Amino acid sequence: MKIGLYVCTCGTNITATVDAGKVIDELTAQFPESYAAQVEFICAAEGKEFLKDHLIANRPDRVVVAACSPREYESTFMQILAEAGINPYYLQMVNIREQVAWVTPDPAQATRKATTAIRAAMMRVRYQEPLEKIEQEANGDVLVIGAGPAGLQSALFLAEAGRKVVLVEKTPVIGGMPVLYEELFPTMECGPCLLEPFEAQVLHGDSAHNIELLLLSEVTGVTGYYGNFTATIKQAPRFVGTTCIGCGMCVEACPASAANEFNCGMDEKKAIAMPFLGALPNLPYIDPGSCLRSLGQDCQLCLDACPMPGAVDLEDPGRIVERKVGAIILAIGSKLYDCSKVNGLGYGEIPGVYTSLEFERLASSNGPTAGEIKIPGGSSPASVAIVHCVGSLDPQHQQYCSGICCEYAFKFNRVLEHKLPGTKIHHFYKEMVTAGKSDFVMYEHARKNPDAGFIRYREIEEIQISASASGQKIAYRREDNTVDSIATDMVILCPAMVGSGDAAKLGDMMDLTRGEAGFFDELNGRLHTAQSKVKGIYLAGTCQAPMDIAQATSQAMAAAGYVLSGLAAGKKLVIEPISAFVDEERCSGCRICGGVCPYKAITFKDDTHTSSVNALLCHGCGTCVAACPAGAIQGNHFTNKQILAEIEAILQ
Amino acid sequence: MTAQAMTNVGTPVSESFEPKIVGFLCNWCSYAGADKAGSSQTPYPPNVAVIRVMCSGRVDPQFILDAFHKGADGVMILACHPGDCHYKEGNQRAVQRYRILLGLLEQFGIEKERCKFDYVSAGEGEKFVRVITEMVDTVKGLGPLTLPVRAY
Ligand code: FES
Repeated sequence: MKIGLYVCTCGTNITATVDAGKVIDELTAQFPESYAAQVEFICAAEGKEFLKDHLIANRPDRVVVAACSPREYESTFMQILAEAGINPYYLQMVNIREQVAWVTPDPAQATRKATTAIRAAMMRVRYQEPLEKIEQEANGDVLVIGAGPAGLQSALFLAEAGRKVVLVEKTPVIGGMPVLYEELFPTMECGPCLLEPFEAQVLHGDSAHNIELLLLSEVTGVTGYYGNFTATIKQAPRFVGTTCIGCGMCVEACPASAANEFNCGMDEKKAIAMPFLGALPNLPYIDPGSCLRSLGQDCQLCLDACPMPGAVDLEDPGRIVERKVGAIILAIGSKLYDCSKVNGLGYGEIPGVYTSLEFERLASSNGPTAGEIKIPGGSSPASVAIVHCVGSLDPQHQQYCSGICCEYAFKFNRVLEHKLPGTKIHHFYKEMVTAGKSDFVMYEHARKNPDAGFIRYREIEEIQISASASGQKIAYRREDNTVDSIATDMVILCPAMVGSGDAAKLGDMMDLTRGEAGFFDELNGRLHTAQSKVKGIYLAGTCQAPMDIAQATSQAMAAAGYVLSGLAAGKKLVIEPISAFVDEERCSGCRICGGVCPYKAITFKDDTHTSSVNALLCHGCGTCVAACPAGAIQGNHFTNKQILAEIEAILQ
Repeated sequence: MTAQAMTNVGTPVSESFEPKIVGFLCNWCSYAGADKAGSSQTPYPPNVAVIRVMCSGRVDPQFILDAFHKGADGVMILACHPGDCHYKEGNQRAVQRYRILLGLLEQFGIEKERCKFDYVSAGEGEKFVRVITEMVDTVKGLGPLTLPVRAY
């Protein structure tokens, strides 16, 4: 076999210690059919030109380039092989610069080390096989799960680019959490004002025809892989069809009601109702949990009251649909840490102690009190405590800072100041975080409020809230170790953000891992936060980490960007040939490989009782190859034969 | 059995003993760490010959046994730090296999110090130099590997 060996001198970087002539003499003696050439700078334009021409003239069976690190130049030289008409996987690079010349001052030692390394490459390269990239058709449609700001942003962006999007939302309404907030930091813009136009685009805009919106829906199964996923979606019945004009006569007629989840259970809503005032789409829905029909009664007052024939359909069975997509964007959001887990704060026990979300609803004009901030009993609070960092920065609870709580805490300060001038506000905080170019505005405003006070505590356990005749008593220890207490009428707790309850189920379904707090793991915390660890599944918004609306929508664009660049029209998916494959003849069906594969790339075929690797999902790590007790799996380009040849050459 | 291995048998440990060590380096961290050591031009002993694998999870225990069988005095597996593996958890598998293999090596009469697993990140050029230097010293101290029965 004719191996073409090219030794780069790298100016004198390599040859200052490595005697290239000696290396070449020794190796051409050992591999007599091969030839060798010295090149001064093989990575320079002339060097590459030389290499290409030389390859064309000499037509070697395999090529070894001894130069610098393959991490830097392997792909360059592979490209040159391809241009010279040689399969690029016939190349082996040897790093005799960083790993030999630069670290071995003694010329004799350096020459010996270089010879050994090149010999290993020459032995190995003989077993290298011609590999080809495989192309596969891919579906350009996208499944977006969650219709909050992040999900809407991705869906709209993709739809505008002409992609078909299936947008799945589990509630009967779109807009996510912020649409429930009267005002948003840092500009005090109203939540619905920001989001409603955006929602309208998704529902009725120029690209809306590209979006299939499935409300009251849940993804119950996902099979397949990047480019070719199949999702099963279960849509619960709404009992109200699109002919509804949103007049609300059914709601008036309905005799049943139950706790209103959109107001955190602080009031009730009818069994048939709009989710909340201004909810989009502007359609009521029936909550089967409270509807008298599901309790066995023969009520149809809503149907009788409806002026639009067919708008109320009490026999709506719901449906299960299957959609084929090439990629999935998860935008399922997050939830608040359970404040009742933090001792001493009295959440869930002491009247007038609210979470931030509950306060948002109390302050909203479409909330339970029509925007009047009231305490149990109906009066307005004269003294309010806002407790920051609840369950955050705390090894007992969550160790991180969610990064948005201080912001909205100061927003609450402004809301209170505006709606109830003169109200005393006490900010209890562990740390104060208001990063970003405009977010300090909220803080400055709070600092200037003459009725606001700031108390820094050390540990949340050193705040003890108890019920008093008029409201609450808060006993606390300051950071300087002094103790004190105040009387309040209302307490607002600002808890850590944690992963959504649905994350576990969806994560298991798609083989996505989650961290302790329940957020999905990203591929890389700095470079690829919008990409999950599974190819073709992307993350947008707070299901990946705590973040604000600005960050969530940016990440949504990033997720959509991955789809647009990876699954472009007319572009096939390229399957890298460095992957594993199973020799079915030798496979004993033990399934060990499937258990060690980090990418669920290995499936078990029941008919043949053997495992097989999906090359599209395989990342080529070789863990299964090392694990297979039957030696039935081959790792392309890193085969046992190739590696054993290297070992043998090194130890000659 | 290689000629080199034969001459090792019964050879008295001399000052000039230069061990042969095979180092399996994962492409993403440890190999890059070795490059980093190179870029900073920090010298270290030349005794470790590197075999690049995509992930430490690819290192089949058979390779290690084969290396000892063919005359290696030591074997190293260098991986990404826990949690940093480019393929999520290949390094976990590697370390699990390594631990099992250590027990086996002792049965073969190979001191477990001759086989080393460590984590070297892409930024840890200095650590790479340290780990290599220590390993070379350790194996020099142990002397050439002599296997009573070179068969497995
Ligand atoms: S890639 Fe480095 S250990 Fe897996």
